[in-house]
Amino acid sequence: MREKKSGVDLAVELCGITLRTPLIPASGTLSREALGEVEGVYGAMLPKTTTPVAKAGNPPPRVAETPAGMVNSIGLQNPGVERFLQDLDAFDLGLPIIVSVAGDTVADFGWLCERLAGEDRISAVELNLSCPNVECGGLAFCAGPASVEEVVAACRAAAPNKPILAKLTNEGVVENARAAESAGADGLTIMNTIPALTIDASARKVLVRGGLSGPAIKPVALRAVYDVSGVVEVPVVGSGGVVSGTDVAEFMLAGATAVQVGTASFVRDPHEILDEFTSYLRENGCIAAELTGALRSVHPTVMGGID
Amino acid sequence: MKFQGVRVEDREVLGSYTLLHYRWRGTVEPGQFVMARMAGYPTTLDPFLARPFSFYDHDGEIASLLFEVRGRGTALLDLAPAMEVTAPLGKGFRIEPGLGRAALLGGGIGVAPLKILRRHLDAAGVPHDVFLGFADAESAVVAREFPGTKVATMDGSAGAHGTVLDATETLQDYGAVYACGPNPMLAAVKLAAGENSLCQLSVEERMGCGNGSCNGCVVPVHGGGYIRSCVEGPVFPAEMLAW
Repeated sequence: MREKKSGVDLAVELCGITLRTPLIPASGTLSREALGEVEGVYGAMLPKTTTPVAKAGNPPPRVAETPAGMVNSIGLQNPGVERFLQDLDAFDLGLPIIVSVAGDTVADFGWLCERLAGEDRISAVELNLSCPNVECGGLAFCAGPASVEEVVAACRAAAPNKPILAKLTNEGVVENARAAESAGADGLTIMNTIPALTIDASARKVLVRGGLSGPAIKPVALRAVYDVSGVVEVPVVGSGGVVSGTDVAEFMLAGATAVQVGTASFVRDPHEILDEFTSYLRENGCIAAELTGALRSVHPTVMGGID
Repeated sequence: MKFQGVRVEDREVLGSYTLLHYRWRGTVEPGQFVMARMAGYPTTLDPFLARPFSFYDHDGEIASLLFEVRGRGTALLDLAPAMEVTAPLGKGFRIEPGLGRAALLGGGIGVAPLKILRRHLDAAGVPHDVFLGFADAESAVVAREFPGTKVATMDGSAGAHGTVLDATETLQDYGAVYACGPNPMLAAVKLAAGENSLCQLSVEERMGCGNGSCNGCVVPVHGGGYIRSCVEGPVFPAEMLAW
Protein backbone atom coordinates (compact mmCIF):
# COMPACT_ATOMS: atom_id res chain seq x y z
CA MET A 1 0.00 0.00 0.00
CA ARG A 2 1.56 3.27 -1.11
CA GLU A 3 0.55 6.60 0.32
CA LYS A 4 0.35 9.22 -2.38
CA LYS A 5 -0.39 12.53 -0.85
CA SER A 6 -0.90 15.12 -3.56
CA GLY A 7 0.88 12.81 -5.96
CA VAL A 8 4.05 12.45 -3.88
CA ASP A 9 5.26 8.92 -3.23
CA LEU A 10 6.05 8.66 0.48
CA ALA A 11 6.73 4.92 0.68
CA VAL A 12 10.04 3.42 1.75
CA GLU A 13 11.30 -0.14 2.20
CA LEU A 14 12.76 -1.04 5.58
CA CYS A 15 14.25 -4.53 6.04
CA GLY A 16 11.85 -5.90 3.44
CA ILE A 17 8.83 -4.19 4.99
CA THR A 18 6.97 -1.56 2.97
CA LEU A 19 6.21 1.55 4.99
CA ARG A 20 3.59 3.84 3.44
CA THR A 21 5.38 6.81 4.97
CA PRO A 22 8.90 6.91 6.45
CA LEU A 23 7.59 8.03 9.84
CA ILE A 24 7.51 5.68 12.84
CA PRO A 25 6.58 6.62 16.41
CA ALA A 26 9.60 6.37 18.72
CA SER A 27 9.08 3.79 21.43
CA GLY A 28 7.29 5.04 24.53
CA THR A 29 5.82 8.13 22.91
CA LEU A 30 2.49 6.91 21.55
CA SER A 31 -0.15 5.44 23.82
CA ARG A 32 -3.33 3.59 22.89
CA GLU A 33 -5.28 6.64 24.00
CA ALA A 34 -3.50 8.84 21.45
CA LEU A 35 -3.83 6.49 18.46
CA GLY A 36 -6.93 8.28 17.20
CA GLU A 37 -4.88 11.44 16.68
CA VAL A 38 -2.30 9.96 14.31
CA GLU A 39 -4.31 8.24 11.60
CA GLY A 40 -2.56 8.35 8.24
CA VAL A 41 0.73 9.64 9.60
CA TYR A 42 2.91 6.65 10.26
CA GLY A 43 4.35 3.87 8.13
CA ALA A 44 4.54 1.43 11.03
CA MET A 45 3.33 1.21 14.61
CA LEU A 46 5.83 0.93 17.43
CA PRO A 47 4.29 0.59 20.91
CA LYS A 48 6.13 1.20 24.16
CA THR A 49 8.96 -1.20 25.06
CA THR A 50 7.85 -4.53 26.48
CA THR A 51 9.79 -6.63 29.00
CA PRO A 52 9.47 -10.30 30.08
CA VAL A 53 7.46 -9.39 33.19
CA ALA A 54 5.64 -6.24 34.28
CA LYS A 55 7.69 -3.28 35.45
CA ALA A 56 6.28 -0.64 37.79
CA GLY A 57 8.72 1.98 36.55
CA ASN A 58 10.61 4.63 38.49
CA PRO A 59 9.18 6.79 41.28
CA PRO A 60 8.19 10.32 40.25
CA PRO A 61 9.34 12.88 39.30
CA ARG A 62 9.96 11.24 35.95
CA VAL A 63 10.06 14.17 33.56
CA ALA A 64 11.65 17.60 33.60
CA GLU A 65 11.73 20.24 30.94
CA THR A 66 15.09 21.50 29.69
CA PRO A 67 15.99 24.05 26.99
CA ALA A 68 14.32 22.78 23.79
CA GLY A 69 13.93 19.33 25.25
CA MET A 70 12.98 17.14 28.16
CA VAL A 71 14.70 14.67 30.45
CA ASN A 72 12.78 11.53 31.29
CA SER A 73 13.32 8.63 33.61
CA ILE A 74 10.25 6.45 33.21
CA GLY A 75 11.92 3.14 33.99
CA LEU A 76 10.19 1.14 31.23
CA GLN A 77 6.85 0.98 33.05
CA ASN A 78 4.88 -1.70 31.18
CA PRO A 79 2.56 -4.61 31.90
CA GLY A 80 4.91 -7.36 30.67
CA VAL A 81 4.94 -9.20 27.35
CA GLU A 82 1.94 -11.49 27.85
CA ARG A 83 -0.41 -8.63 28.67
CA PHE A 84 1.26 -6.61 25.92
CA LEU A 85 0.35 -9.28 23.38
CA GLN A 86 -3.23 -9.47 24.66
CA ASP A 87 -3.58 -5.73 24.09
CA LEU A 88 -1.63 -5.56 20.84
CA ASP A 89 -4.68 -5.52 18.57
CA ALA A 90 -5.33 -1.94 19.70
CA PHE A 91 -2.23 -1.01 17.70
CA ASP A 92 -3.43 -2.84 14.59
CA LEU A 93 -4.14 0.07 12.28
CA GLY A 94 -3.40 -2.02 9.22
CA LEU A 95 0.26 -1.04 9.42
CA PRO A 96 3.31 -3.20 10.12
CA ILE A 97 3.93 -3.47 13.86
CA ILE A 98 7.47 -3.18 15.21
CA VAL A 99 7.84 -4.30 18.82
CA SER A 100 10.45 -2.72 21.08
CA VAL A 101 11.88 -5.16 23.63
CA ALA A 102 14.13 -4.84 26.65
CA GLY A 103 15.45 -7.20 29.32
CA ASP A 104 17.81 -7.36 32.25
CA THR A 105 19.97 -10.10 30.71
CA VAL A 106 20.96 -11.44 27.32
CA ALA A 107 18.75 -14.44 28.07
CA ASP A 108 15.78 -12.09 28.64
CA PHE A 109 16.27 -10.55 25.22
CA GLY A 110 16.58 -13.96 23.60
CA TRP A 111 13.49 -15.25 25.39
CA LEU A 112 11.44 -12.23 24.32
CA CYS A 113 12.53 -12.57 20.70
CA GLU A 114 11.63 -16.24 20.72
CA ARG A 115 8.24 -15.42 22.21
CA LEU A 116 7.58 -12.78 19.53
CA ALA A 117 8.92 -14.89 16.65
CA GLY A 118 5.71 -16.90 16.63
CA GLU A 119 3.45 -13.85 16.41
CA ASP A 120 2.26 -13.20 12.87
CA ARG A 121 1.03 -9.75 13.85
CA ILE A 122 4.59 -8.57 14.45
CA SER A 123 6.65 -7.44 11.46
CA ALA A 124 9.93 -6.64 13.21
CA VAL A 125 11.59 -6.34 16.60
CA GLU A 126 13.53 -3.35 17.89
CA LEU A 127 16.06 -4.08 20.64
CA ASN A 128 16.20 -1.32 23.24
CA LEU A 129 19.88 -1.68 24.10
CA SER A 130 20.04 1.37 26.38
CA CYS A 131 18.57 -0.52 29.32
CA PRO A 132 20.96 -1.70 32.04
CA ASN A 133 22.45 -5.18 31.86
CA VAL A 134 22.22 -6.54 35.41
CA GLU A 135 24.88 -9.16 34.63
CA CYS A 136 27.37 -6.42 33.79
CA GLY A 137 26.93 -4.24 36.85
CA GLY A 138 24.07 -2.28 35.32
CA LEU A 139 26.04 -0.95 32.36
CA ALA A 140 23.84 -0.52 29.32
CA PHE A 141 23.84 -3.34 26.78
CA CYS A 142 25.15 -0.82 24.26
CA ALA A 143 28.03 0.18 26.54
CA GLY A 144 30.44 -1.57 24.20
CA PRO A 145 30.66 -3.65 21.01
CA ALA A 146 31.19 -6.96 22.79
CA SER A 147 27.90 -6.82 24.69
CA VAL A 148 26.06 -5.44 21.66
CA GLU A 149 27.31 -8.35 19.60
CA GLU A 150 26.34 -10.89 22.26
CA VAL A 151 22.78 -9.65 22.72
CA VAL A 152 22.10 -9.14 19.02
CA ALA A 153 23.44 -12.60 18.20
CA ALA A 154 21.18 -14.16 20.85
CA CYS A 155 18.14 -12.36 19.43
CA ARG A 156 19.10 -13.25 15.86
CA ALA A 157 19.18 -16.94 16.80
CA ALA A 158 15.92 -16.70 18.76
CA ALA A 159 13.91 -14.98 16.01
CA PRO A 160 15.41 -16.04 12.68
CA ASN A 161 12.19 -15.11 10.88
CA LYS A 162 11.84 -11.50 12.09
CA PRO A 163 13.82 -8.47 11.03
CA ILE A 164 15.76 -7.13 14.02
CA LEU A 165 16.58 -3.46 14.56
CA ALA A 166 19.20 -2.67 17.19
CA LYS A 167 18.50 0.69 18.87
CA LEU A 168 21.75 2.27 20.00
CA THR A 169 22.65 5.26 22.08
CA ASN A 170 25.06 7.92 20.84
CA GLU A 171 28.12 6.97 22.84
CA GLY A 172 30.37 4.69 20.81
CA VAL A 173 27.69 4.46 18.18
CA VAL A 174 29.91 3.65 15.17
CA GLU A 175 31.67 0.73 16.85
CA ASN A 176 28.42 -0.54 18.32
CA ALA A 177 26.70 -0.27 14.95
CA ARG A 178 29.41 -2.36 13.32
CA ALA A 179 29.08 -4.95 16.10
CA ALA A 180 25.29 -5.11 15.73
CA GLU A 181 25.55 -5.53 11.99
CA SER A 182 28.14 -8.29 12.22
CA ALA A 183 25.98 -10.10 14.80
CA GLY A 184 23.10 -10.19 12.34
CA ALA A 185 20.99 -7.07 12.94
CA ASP A 186 18.85 -6.27 9.90
CA GLY A 187 18.79 -2.58 10.72
CA LEU A 188 19.79 0.00 13.31
CA THR A 189 17.80 2.67 15.11
CA ILE A 190 20.10 5.62 15.71
CA MET A 191 19.80 6.95 18.42
CA ASN A 192 18.22 6.78 21.86
CA THR A 193 18.00 9.63 24.38
CA ILE A 194 21.26 11.10 25.71
CA PRO A 195 22.15 10.60 29.42
CA ALA A 196 21.24 13.81 31.22
CA LEU A 197 20.51 15.31 34.62
CA THR A 198 18.30 18.07 35.96
CA ILE A 199 18.72 19.63 39.38
CA ASP A 200 16.34 21.59 41.58
CA ALA A 201 18.73 24.19 42.99
CA SER A 202 16.32 25.57 45.58
CA ALA A 203 15.64 22.12 47.03
CA ARG A 204 19.28 21.05 46.45
CA LYS A 205 18.34 17.75 44.99
CA VAL A 206 18.40 15.83 41.74
CA LEU A 207 15.14 16.33 39.92
CA VAL A 208 15.42 13.79 37.10
CA ARG A 209 18.42 11.68 36.11
CA GLY A 210 17.53 10.12 32.80
CA GLY A 211 17.61 10.63 29.05
CA LEU A 212 17.41 13.89 27.11
CA SER A 213 15.11 14.09 24.08
CA GLY A 214 13.60 16.82 21.95
CA PRO A 215 14.99 19.26 19.41
CA ALA A 216 18.01 19.96 21.64
CA ILE A 217 19.53 16.61 20.60
CA LYS A 218 18.83 16.74 16.87
CA PRO A 219 22.33 17.72 15.67
CA VAL A 220 23.84 14.93 17.78
CA ALA A 221 21.43 12.37 16.30
CA LEU A 222 22.01 13.65 12.77
CA ARG A 223 25.73 13.18 13.11
CA ALA A 224 25.29 9.70 14.56
CA VAL A 225 23.03 8.72 11.65
CA TYR A 226 25.44 10.24 9.14
CA ASP A 227 28.50 8.55 10.59
CA VAL A 228 26.84 5.16 11.06
CA SER A 229 25.18 5.00 7.66
CA GLY A 230 28.58 5.65 6.10
CA VAL A 231 30.06 2.47 7.57
CA VAL A 232 27.24 -0.12 7.62
CA GLU A 233 25.26 -1.78 4.85
CA VAL A 234 22.05 -2.31 6.81
CA PRO A 235 19.35 0.39 6.85
CA VAL A 236 19.32 3.03 9.55
CA VAL A 237 16.22 4.42 11.25
CA GLY A 238 16.92 7.97 12.39
CA SER A 239 15.67 9.10 15.79
CA GLY A 240 16.39 12.09 17.98
CA GLY A 241 14.84 15.54 18.06
CA VAL A 242 12.74 15.35 14.91
CA VAL A 243 10.19 18.16 15.08
CA SER A 244 9.45 19.13 11.48
CA GLY A 245 9.16 17.76 7.97
CA THR A 246 12.49 19.39 7.18
CA ASP A 247 14.03 17.45 10.07
CA VAL A 248 12.70 14.23 8.52
CA ALA A 249 14.33 15.18 5.21
CA GLU A 250 17.61 15.99 6.96
CA PHE A 251 17.72 12.59 8.65
CA MET A 252 17.02 10.82 5.35
CA LEU A 253 19.63 12.87 3.51
CA ALA A 254 22.06 11.91 6.26
CA GLY A 255 21.40 8.26 5.50
CA ALA A 256 18.21 7.21 7.31
CA THR A 257 15.70 4.98 5.53
CA ALA A 258 12.93 5.84 8.00
CA VAL A 259 12.62 8.37 10.79
CA GLN A 260 11.11 8.20 14.26
CA VAL A 261 9.05 10.95 15.81
CA GLY A 262 9.02 10.97 19.61
CA THR A 263 8.86 13.91 21.98
CA ALA A 264 7.68 16.21 19.18
CA SER A 265 4.39 14.32 19.05
CA PHE A 266 3.65 15.60 22.58
CA VAL A 267 3.63 19.12 21.21
CA ARG A 268 2.92 19.03 17.49
CA ASP A 269 0.23 17.28 15.51
CA PRO A 270 2.29 14.66 13.62
CA HIS A 271 0.10 15.26 10.56
CA GLU A 272 1.81 18.63 10.24
CA ILE A 273 5.21 16.96 10.22
CA LEU A 274 4.11 14.61 7.43
CA ASP A 275 2.56 17.51 5.49
CA GLU A 276 5.77 19.50 5.73
CA PHE A 277 7.79 16.50 4.60
CA THR A 278 5.43 15.99 1.66
CA SER A 279 5.84 19.65 0.71
CA TYR A 280 9.61 19.29 0.86
CA LEU A 281 9.46 16.35 -1.54
CA ARG A 282 7.15 18.19 -3.90
CA GLU A 283 9.29 21.31 -3.92
CA ASN A 284 12.39 19.25 -4.57
CA GLY A 285 10.77 17.07 -7.21
CA CYS A 286 11.64 13.75 -5.57
CA ILE A 287 10.03 10.80 -3.81
CA ALA A 288 10.76 9.71 -0.25
CA ALA A 289 12.82 6.64 -1.12
CA GLU A 290 15.25 8.69 -3.21
CA LEU A 291 16.29 10.84 -0.28
CA THR A 292 18.09 8.19 1.77
CA GLY A 293 21.79 9.00 1.75
CA ALA A 294 21.34 11.43 -1.14
CA LEU A 295 23.73 13.80 0.57
CA ARG A 296 26.66 11.52 -0.07
CA SER A 297 26.07 11.26 -3.80
CA VAL A 298 26.17 15.04 -4.06
CA HIS A 299 29.02 15.72 -1.66
CA PRO A 300 31.74 13.14 -1.14
CA THR A 301 31.89 12.02 2.47
CA VAL A 302 33.95 14.31 4.60
CA MET A 303 34.29 12.96 8.12
CA GLY A 304 35.49 16.26 9.45
CA GLY A 305 34.70 18.20 12.54
CA ILE A 306 35.84 18.22 16.09
CA ASP A 307 37.08 14.70 16.74
CA MET B 1 -8.57 18.05 20.90
CA LYS B 2 -5.92 20.54 19.88
CA PHE B 3 -6.66 24.20 19.16
CA GLN B 4 -4.08 26.42 17.48
CA GLY B 5 -3.86 30.16 17.77
CA VAL B 6 -6.30 30.53 20.68
CA ARG B 7 -6.35 34.27 21.32
CA VAL B 8 -5.84 35.44 24.89
CA GLU B 9 -8.75 37.79 25.57
CA ASP B 10 -7.35 39.38 28.70
CA ARG B 11 -5.23 38.84 31.77
CA GLU B 12 -5.81 39.83 35.34
CA VAL B 13 -3.14 39.96 38.01
CA LEU B 14 -4.34 38.43 41.28
CA GLY B 15 -1.49 38.85 43.74
CA SER B 16 1.23 36.43 42.67
CA TYR B 17 -1.04 34.70 40.15
CA THR B 18 -2.27 35.55 36.68
CA LEU B 19 -5.80 34.80 35.52
CA LEU B 20 -6.00 34.43 31.75
CA HIS B 21 -9.22 34.33 29.73
CA TYR B 22 -9.79 32.83 26.30
CA ARG B 23 -12.76 31.88 24.19
CA TRP B 24 -13.53 28.18 24.26
CA ARG B 25 -16.74 26.33 23.56
CA GLY B 26 -17.10 22.79 24.70
CA THR B 27 -18.11 20.86 27.73
CA VAL B 28 -15.84 20.64 30.73
CA GLU B 29 -16.03 18.61 33.91
CA PRO B 30 -14.59 20.47 36.89
CA GLY B 31 -11.10 19.10 37.52
CA GLN B 32 -10.31 18.52 33.86
CA PHE B 33 -7.27 20.29 32.46
CA VAL B 34 -5.68 21.73 29.36
CA MET B 35 -2.17 21.52 27.96
CA ALA B 36 -1.24 25.04 26.92
CA ARG B 37 1.78 26.83 25.54
CA MET B 38 2.50 30.03 23.72
CA ALA B 39 1.32 29.72 20.12
CA GLY B 40 3.66 29.85 17.24
CA TYR B 41 5.78 26.83 16.38
CA PRO B 42 8.58 27.11 15.30
CA THR B 43 9.26 30.35 17.15
CA THR B 44 8.87 28.68 20.53
CA LEU B 45 10.99 25.51 20.57
CA ASP B 46 12.30 26.56 23.97
CA PRO B 47 10.52 25.71 26.11
CA PHE B 48 9.29 22.78 24.10
CA LEU B 49 6.52 21.14 26.07
CA ALA B 50 3.08 22.47 26.83
CA ARG B 51 2.09 22.95 30.48
CA PRO B 52 -0.87 21.39 32.24
CA PHE B 53 -3.41 23.79 33.81
CA SER B 54 -6.74 23.01 35.42
CA PHE B 55 -9.74 24.75 33.97
CA TYR B 56 -10.18 27.60 36.44
CA ASP B 57 -13.61 28.44 35.14
CA HIS B 58 -15.75 28.03 32.06
CA ASP B 59 -19.14 29.60 31.50
CA GLY B 60 -19.75 27.97 28.14
CA GLU B 61 -18.10 30.80 26.20
CA ILE B 62 -15.08 32.00 28.12
CA ALA B 63 -12.59 29.68 29.78
CA SER B 64 -9.88 30.76 32.16
CA LEU B 65 -6.57 29.49 33.48
CA LEU B 66 -4.91 30.51 36.72
CA PHE B 67 -1.14 30.25 36.91
CA GLU B 68 1.96 31.49 38.62
CA VAL B 69 5.02 32.46 36.58
CA ARG B 70 7.63 29.92 37.60
CA GLY B 71 9.76 29.37 34.50
CA ARG B 72 10.07 30.16 30.82
CA GLY B 73 6.88 28.35 29.86
CA THR B 74 4.67 30.31 32.21
CA ALA B 75 6.64 33.54 31.60
CA LEU B 76 5.84 33.27 27.89
CA LEU B 77 2.23 32.42 28.63
CA ASP B 78 2.10 35.60 30.66
CA LEU B 79 3.01 37.56 27.51
CA ALA B 80 1.62 35.45 24.68
CA PRO B 81 -1.04 37.01 22.46
CA ALA B 82 -2.24 33.50 21.58
CA MET B 83 -1.84 29.94 22.83
CA GLU B 84 -1.90 26.36 21.59
CA VAL B 85 -4.45 24.59 23.77
CA THR B 86 -5.29 20.89 23.96
CA ALA B 87 -8.52 20.36 25.88
CA PRO B 88 -10.40 19.04 27.68
CA LEU B 89 -8.11 16.40 29.18
CA GLY B 90 -8.30 13.92 32.03
CA LYS B 91 -10.97 12.85 34.44
CA GLY B 92 -12.56 15.47 36.69
CA PHE B 93 -14.35 15.56 40.02
CA ARG B 94 -17.42 13.39 40.46
CA ILE B 95 -20.36 15.30 41.90
CA GLU B 96 -22.84 13.28 43.91
CA PRO B 97 -25.80 15.21 45.25
CA GLY B 98 -27.34 13.71 48.37
CA LEU B 99 -24.12 13.27 50.36
CA GLY B 100 -24.68 16.43 52.37
CA ARG B 101 -22.26 19.31 52.69
CA ALA B 102 -19.04 19.33 50.72
CA ALA B 103 -15.66 20.77 51.74
CA LEU B 104 -13.40 22.21 49.07
CA LEU B 105 -9.72 22.64 49.92
CA GLY B 106 -7.10 24.34 47.78
CA GLY B 107 -3.41 24.82 48.46
CA GLY B 108 -1.56 27.55 46.57
CA ILE B 109 -2.13 27.31 42.84
CA GLY B 110 -4.24 24.25 43.71
CA VAL B 111 -7.15 26.65 44.16
CA ALA B 112 -7.44 26.59 40.36
CA PRO B 113 -10.06 23.86 39.81
CA LEU B 114 -12.18 24.90 42.78
CA LYS B 115 -13.81 27.85 41.02
CA ILE B 116 -15.40 25.74 38.29
CA LEU B 117 -16.12 22.99 40.80
CA ARG B 118 -18.02 25.51 42.87
CA ARG B 119 -20.03 26.54 39.81
CA HIS B 120 -21.02 22.91 39.21
CA LEU B 121 -21.79 22.22 42.88
CA ASP B 122 -24.07 25.27 42.92
CA ALA B 123 -25.83 24.01 39.80
CA ALA B 124 -26.30 20.60 41.43
CA GLY B 125 -27.58 22.19 44.63
CA VAL B 126 -24.75 20.86 46.78
CA PRO B 127 -24.01 23.12 49.78
CA HIS B 128 -20.29 23.60 50.38
CA ASP B 129 -17.54 25.41 52.28
CA VAL B 130 -14.25 26.51 50.78
CA PHE B 131 -10.89 26.52 52.58
CA LEU B 132 -7.78 27.92 50.94
CA GLY B 133 -4.18 27.80 52.05
CA PHE B 134 -1.35 29.98 50.72
CA ALA B 135 2.29 30.77 51.38
CA ASP B 136 1.60 34.42 52.17
CA ALA B 137 -0.83 37.33 51.85
CA GLU B 138 0.29 38.13 48.31
CA SER B 139 -0.68 34.73 46.94
CA ALA B 140 -3.83 34.81 49.10
CA VAL B 141 -5.14 37.74 47.05
CA VAL B 142 -6.83 35.20 44.75
CA ALA B 143 -9.10 34.24 47.66
CA ARG B 144 -11.25 37.28 46.82
CA GLU B 145 -12.48 35.23 43.85
CA PHE B 146 -14.01 32.84 46.39
CA PRO B 147 -16.46 34.79 48.55
CA GLY B 148 -17.13 33.32 51.98
CA THR B 149 -13.88 31.40 52.05
CA LYS B 150 -11.72 30.62 55.06
CA VAL B 151 -8.04 31.30 54.45
CA ALA B 152 -4.78 30.25 56.07
CA THR B 153 -1.24 31.36 55.25
CA MET B 154 2.00 29.66 56.14
CA ASP B 155 3.55 32.92 57.33
CA GLY B 156 0.41 34.05 59.11
CA SER B 157 0.16 37.27 57.07
CA ALA B 158 -3.47 36.60 56.17
CA GLY B 159 -6.15 34.43 57.78
CA ALA B 160 -5.22 31.59 60.09
CA HIS B 161 -1.55 30.79 60.65
CA GLY B 162 -0.62 27.46 59.11
CA THR B 163 -1.76 25.14 56.36
CA VAL B 164 -5.17 24.94 54.76
CA LEU B 165 -6.16 22.38 57.38
CA ASP B 166 -5.61 25.08 60.02
CA ALA B 167 -8.43 27.03 58.36
CA THR B 168 -10.81 24.12 58.98
CA GLU B 169 -12.28 22.79 62.21
CA THR B 170 -12.97 19.25 61.18
CA LEU B 171 -13.49 17.54 57.84
CA GLN B 172 -15.19 14.54 59.44
CA ASP B 173 -18.67 16.10 59.23
CA TYR B 174 -18.62 16.58 55.47
CA GLY B 175 -20.24 14.13 53.08
CA ALA B 176 -17.77 14.96 50.33
CA VAL B 177 -14.26 16.41 50.35
CA TYR B 178 -12.60 17.85 47.28
CA ALA B 179 -8.98 18.96 47.33
CA CYS B 180 -6.24 20.18 45.02
CA GLY B 181 -2.72 21.18 45.98
CA PRO B 182 0.78 19.84 46.57
CA ASN B 183 1.00 16.12 47.32
CA PRO B 184 1.85 16.49 51.06
CA MET B 185 -1.24 18.65 51.49
CA LEU B 186 -3.40 16.08 49.69
CA ALA B 187 -2.04 13.31 51.90
CA ALA B 188 -2.91 15.39 54.98
CA VAL B 189 -6.41 16.10 53.66
CA LYS B 190 -6.95 12.41 53.01
CA LEU B 191 -6.01 11.63 56.59
CA ALA B 192 -8.16 14.43 58.01
CA ALA B 193 -11.19 13.47 55.90
CA GLY B 194 -11.26 9.95 57.31
CA GLU B 195 -13.10 7.19 55.55
CA ASN B 196 -16.72 8.24 55.87
CA SER B 197 -16.80 10.80 53.08
CA LEU B 198 -16.38 10.76 49.34
CA CYS B 199 -12.87 12.22 49.17
CA GLN B 200 -11.42 13.17 45.81
CA LEU B 201 -7.95 14.56 45.26
CA SER B 202 -6.68 16.42 42.21
CA VAL B 203 -2.93 15.86 41.96
CA GLU B 204 -0.29 18.25 40.65
CA GLU B 205 2.31 16.39 38.61
CA ARG B 206 4.88 17.34 36.01
CA MET B 207 3.63 16.22 32.62
CA GLY B 208 5.28 15.55 29.31
CA CYS B 209 2.56 14.72 26.81
CA GLY B 210 -0.81 15.06 28.55
CA ASN B 211 -2.27 12.24 26.45
CA GLY B 212 -1.12 9.11 28.25
CA SER B 213 1.88 8.43 26.03
CA CYS B 214 4.95 9.22 28.11
CA ASN B 215 4.05 7.83 31.56
CA GLY B 216 5.79 10.84 33.04
CA CYS B 217 3.04 12.10 35.37
CA VAL B 218 2.40 9.03 37.47
CA VAL B 219 1.31 8.76 41.10
CA PRO B 220 1.68 5.69 43.34
CA VAL B 221 -1.43 3.58 43.86
CA HIS B 222 -2.51 1.20 46.60
CA GLY B 223 -1.52 -2.35 45.78
CA GLY B 224 1.72 -1.21 44.13
CA GLY B 225 2.68 0.42 40.89
CA TYR B 226 1.85 3.77 39.39
CA ILE B 227 -1.02 5.31 37.49
CA ARG B 228 -0.99 8.20 35.01
CA SER B 229 -2.46 11.44 36.28
CA CYS B 230 -3.15 12.77 32.76
CA VAL B 231 -5.48 9.97 31.64
CA GLU B 232 -6.65 8.14 34.76
CA GLY B 233 -6.57 11.42 36.75
CA PRO B 234 -5.80 14.14 37.61
CA VAL B 235 -8.67 13.60 40.05
CA PHE B 236 -8.49 10.34 41.99
CA PRO B 237 -10.59 8.84 44.75
CA ALA B 238 -8.39 9.36 47.83
CA GLU B 239 -8.40 5.68 48.74
CA MET B 240 -6.77 4.81 45.42
CA LEU B 241 -3.57 6.72 46.15
CA ALA B 242 -0.73 5.20 48.17
CA TRP B 243 0.05 8.27 50.28
